Amino acid sequence: MTDAVGRKKLRNRIFITLIVISNTLGNLSLGRGMKTMPGFRPDMLPTYIVEFATNPWIAAGIALLIVWMVAQLSMFTFADLTYVLPMTAGAYVLTAVLSRFFLGEQISPERWAGIALISVGVMLVSESPPVEPRRGVSP
Amino acid sequence: VRWAWLAVCVLSGTGGDLMSAKGMAAHGELECFSPRRMAQVLRYIVTHPLIVAGIASDAVSFLSLIALLSVVDVSFAIPATAVSYILKTALARWYLGECISWRRWAGAACVAVGVYLISK
Repeated sequence: MTDAVGRKKLRNRIFITLIVISNTLGNLSLGRGMKTMPGFRPDMLPTYIVEFATNPWIAAGIALLIVWMVAQLSMFTFADLTYVLPMTAGAYVLTAVLSRFFLGEQISPERWAGIALISVGVMLVSESPPVEPRRGVSP
Repeated sequence: VRWAWLAVCVLSGTGGDLMSAKGMAAHGELECFSPRRMAQVLRYIVTHPLIVAGIASDAVSFLSLIALLSVVDVSFAIPATAVSYILKTALARWYLGECISWRRWAGAACVAVGVYLISK
């Protein structure tokens, strides 16, 4: 394997990991922040906005979701959409597993089946090159 | 009403991802990730019409998901959006000219069914 090929593989792995982790932690953090917010009342809008803007969990969640969006957009410059989307669906698996271990949520047999299927899907797509040669275009 | 919100959510999400991917593909392969280079990429993202339209379309998808959640349970809304994986795969072939091997199709199908089961 040449250095360039190795570097590209490493770049793919780093981006997939970054996308999955920033999406999962961003959603969990935003969810946790929203749970500590007071119930929304139109007459209390200014107070609600101040609470929203100063909540550290919400700020961390939004920052992580911005990282997720920029990382995913950057990955589109060197990988197909049909490669990036299934590969990053690992975020669903990570969210389910983290909810099990950190929030003590139960995982039903149906959800375990879903986790297994997504993992099979990720493995299948990971066997294909990030950019498939286009029809009529020599690779 | 719920089918209308679901259609808006899936179609705008699909359109958003397709437009963003097309806009970013036009940028050319990113190989350097220095802070200066990433600042240039950010500027490219916020000024490219297709990418801005894609992000706006994704925002519409997110808001229509919230609207959908106000009329149905999460256990209907999230599994139903799993169909967008299949739609995006089919349209990526037409709009982005991606060549989709059987592995990609099988992977997208497994992920769609998996997301349906995991969020049911």
